[in-house]
Amino acid sequence: MMPPESTPFDHRPDPVVGAALRQALAVDGHAAFVARVLARLEERPIVYWDILESWARAGITVTAAALLAGFLISGRPNPTTLEDVLAAGAGDSGRVMLSAVRPPDPAAVLNLAEAR
Amino acid sequence: MDSDHTGTSRSAPSPIQPQEAVPRIERLEDAELVTQALSGDRGAFGVLVDRYAASVRRVARAVLGDADDADDAAQDAMLATLLKLKQYDPRRPFGPWLMRVVANAAHDRRRRRKVRRTESLDTTVIAGGEMPDALAHRHALSLRLREALAQLPERRRTAVVLFDVEGYSHAEIGRILGIPEGTVRSEVFHARRALRGILADWKEEV
Repeated sequence: MMPPESTPFDHRPDPVVGAALRQALAVDGHAAFVARVLARLEERPIVYWDILESWARAGITVTAAALLAGFLISGRPNPTTLEDVLAAGAGDSGRVMLSAVRPPDPAAVLNLAEAR
Repeated sequence: MDSDHTGTSRSAPSPIQPQEAVPRIERLEDAELVTQALSGDRGAFGVLVDRYAASVRRVARAVLGDADDADDAAQDAMLATLLKLKQYDPRRPFGPWLMRVVANAAHDRRRRRKVRRTESLDTTVIAGGEMPDALAHRHALSLRLREALAQLPERRRTAVVLFDVEGYSHAEIGRILGIPEGTVRSEVFHARRALRGILADWKEEV
């Protein structure tokens, strides 16, 4: 028997309409559907990148900073000792330039370079 | 297992299946499963899919009509859910949040495609031959109801299915569909009136 006509103020689901709709919208293959969704998930590893994004972003930043620092440290030329400079001067010119009070004449620097 | 979900919170396991026999993960609340899924536990997400698949597919079918289209939309919605999982507020019930994703996915699919009526009359029912009478009657009534649902505006049929079949409250449906609670009441009322008319006619014919 049909329950009395409902009103917009009914708070409870209508069991007759509900049962009829449940029947009408019934879908088979529950297990197959679940398996299909999970299989699709396996094909999309990118999904997990998104999930891990929150902490991965911080991790990537730290890694990038560490790499940059490492590059800067290892990429800098080896520190040159005073003895190296003087030896490279191949004479007294370099020693004079280093001990001079005033800046050297650019022509003298070029001559030194040419001499090497 | 034909998992089903009614209402907004995790229902207790069936008395037929003793708790000890149910794997521990399947006894977890939705929010706990979400937390585990977010930490990369696919099994936890699988339990959520299993728990909500029936509801999700019914709602998608109510929106789209065609069962295959509905399953595609339901699958898209489930996968989209995983992507959006970190947006879920575990203090709120999971069901309405999921249904919002589902309703949007089905609505988008419906908008993108012109929904085709693939539902053809079952010839065995028409011929009245191979099926037992009761089964044939149920099939025919279901078909008529689906046709009637398809005639209703999308929001109206989604609202009535969420209320009368899935057991969500007016307020929850309002949040799912993004409409005021009063509008939900009105939509459910009008949908019921249309569907009850069909059910009454059917009873008279039979």
